[in-house]
Amino acid sequence: MTHRMYAARQRNIGLVALALATLIFILPFLYIFLMAVKTKQEASLFLFNWPAEWQFWTNLVDVVETRNYMLLLAYFNSTVITVGAVTLLVIFGAMVGYVLQRRPSGWNRVIYGCILIGLMVPPAVVPTIWVLQGLGLFKTIYGMIFIQVAYGLAFTVLLYRSFIGTIPRDLDEAAIIDGARPWQIFFRVILPLLKPVTVTLIVVQSVAIFNDFTNPLYYLPGKENVTVQLTLFNFQSQFQSQYNLLFMNILLVTIPPLLVFVFFNRQIVAGMTAGAVKG
Amino acid sequence: MAPVSTSSVILRNIRKSFGAVEVIKGIDLTIEAGEFCVFVGPSGCGKSTLLRIISGLEDTTSGTIDIGGRDVTDAEPSARGIAMVFQSYALYPHLSVRDNIGFGLSLAKLPKDTIRQKVEAAAEALQLTPLLDRKPKALSGGQRQRVAIGRAIVRDPKVFLFDEPLSNLDAALRAQMRIELSDLHRKLGATMIYVTHDQVEAMTMADKIVVLNAGRIEQVGSPMDLYNAPVSPFVAGFIGSPKMNLYDGMAAGMGCKTYGIRPEHLRLTNENPRWTGTVRHVERLGADTVVYLNVPGLGEMVVRTDGNANPAIGASMGAVPIDGREFRYG
Ligand SMILES: Nc1ncnc2c1ncn2[C@@H]1O[C@H](COP(=O)(O)OP(=O)(O)OP(=O)(O)O)[C@@H](O)[C@H]1O
Ligand SMILES: [Mg+2]
Repeated sequence: MTHRMYAARQRNIGLVALALATLIFILPFLYIFLMAVKTKQEASLFLFNWPAEWQFWTNLVDVVETRNYMLLLAYFNSTVITVGAVTLLVIFGAMVGYVLQRRPSGWNRVIYGCILIGLMVPPAVVPTIWVLQGLGLFKTIYGMIFIQVAYGLAFTVLLYRSFIGTIPRDLDEAAIIDGARPWQIFFRVILPLLKPVTVTLIVVQSVAIFNDFTNPLYYLPGKENVTVQLTLFNFQSQFQSQYNLLFMNILLVTIPPLLVFVFFNRQIVAGMTAGAVKG
Repeated sequence: MAPVSTSSVILRNIRKSFGAVEVIKGIDLTIEAGEFCVFVGPSGCGKSTLLRIISGLEDTTSGTIDIGGRDVTDAEPSARGIAMVFQSYALYPHLSVRDNIGFGLSLAKLPKDTIRQKVEAAAEALQLTPLLDRKPKALSGGQRQRVAIGRAIVRDPKVFLFDEPLSNLDAALRAQMRIELSDLHRKLGATMIYVTHDQVEAMTMADKIVVLNAGRIEQVGSPMDLYNAPVSPFVAGFIGSPKMNLYDGMAAGMGCKTYGIRPEHLRLTNENPRWTGTVRHVERLGADTVVYLNVPGLGEMVVRTDGNANPAIGASMGAVPIDGREFRYG
């Protein structure tokens, strides 16, 4: 095959891939957007057409003002939960991963067992609620943060542990010779080198936690505790649904995670493929 | 000249086991202050382990270590007055050269100005000044090596420990770094302990060579002591290049267990040769020529001779030993 034919084939494959991606990812978005700007009557037809009448601004204001600005409260709650949970996940995950990787001991097996259980055993809702109630954490934002940390920790620890395995032990030892205490080795040598995984984890976990629907539904009832995904209930009821507002709400809720992906895209890929730390 | 440090290292009956395996089997050794001491030995003989025990990265199973007249057996590595240069250099990849060199000082909470001064002085001495703001990955192997040495120097240690620091460099750079390290040793006057399996490094840099074999000291002495009077076939075979010819003495009819003769102590001649063999291979190095003979009943015999000699492959050649240069063991 000549070089030119090869290049042409590559380009065609690229175009096909691009078209497919558009179909799969962009069309649903376009649909959401078009639905969000329609009037209530037009939206209830569920057609993929250009809106006859644009109501972008009215719908937007309607959604934000619904139920005494519930959406803004939801943004606030979701942000607090996400930031709190991801911060704890990163710090504890990296610490546990570091100790597991660097200090083999009899306890490692036990800890591994716990991590695998954490990954594989599905959480049971009712007992979890009992535990939360016992601790006085039910229906609190803290409780929700701890739940999210508990659900994400196993995966985070495993990811950190395997990445720390690629950091040469010589670096720890050089730091010991330089007079570093264990916590200084961790915070000044190891943690900075974990940046690629940390960025990946922050993005993946933030999006997952921000978008979580079921866990806040179970563990965080109460109007003052509403999170973004739960605001979708505002426009959907048995008797009357306002699909244009529902879709506007979906659009607003989707924007923050989307922005995160757009900005961190490059680092995420780097983190996923990052391997050994070269000196 | 800088003041000579008063920092001898004394090891007393050091033993080290990993699980059930004893790796260091009782080592007694005194390294004088200001000495350049080289540990040599084959792979796996425990050189690195012994060095790590001195550094404190590994603890001893039994025995004591004195550095500068103080028992440091249970002291932290950073409290022993040592600095270490790793084979992999172990530079912190996320820090600039400046921060790499100054890392230990910043941990010790020295004032910023002092750190800056010390780092710049070390960089100056090692010709690293133009590279101070680069990251390690933007440096060549030799430059990384220098940064690693700089990081050791700023700590102002009594004892420098090197674990095969030159083995990742190419031959030319290695030769140059050998000279630079020797210069550094003269300039600082510090005690240096240097691990290598390269006998050329041992011969050229050491004041004292310690030959290790399977966790024990085989022989300690100056390079020329070891060359002129190796106490065992093991040392004889390890020191000197090309290697000494060693034969089963009974088979060679020498009346001893092992018989050895260095290639440079053999003379090629066809008048009354002790051994006769066929030329199998010739290496012409310029200044001298190394001839490989196949001697029936004995095996291969390596002879180092004048650079102008160029015997034909397959020719028959005789060799005689120079008087007083033969070694008989057992
Ligand atoms: N952490 C450890 N656990 C178990 N065995 C070890 C450990 N470290 C070293 N050993 C063993 O101790 C012996 C000596 O190792 P050491 O690294 O000191 O050898 P060395 O002389 O430095 O060899 P080389 O020239 O290959 O670097 C080896 O047999 C090695 O397998
Ligand atoms: Mg070694």
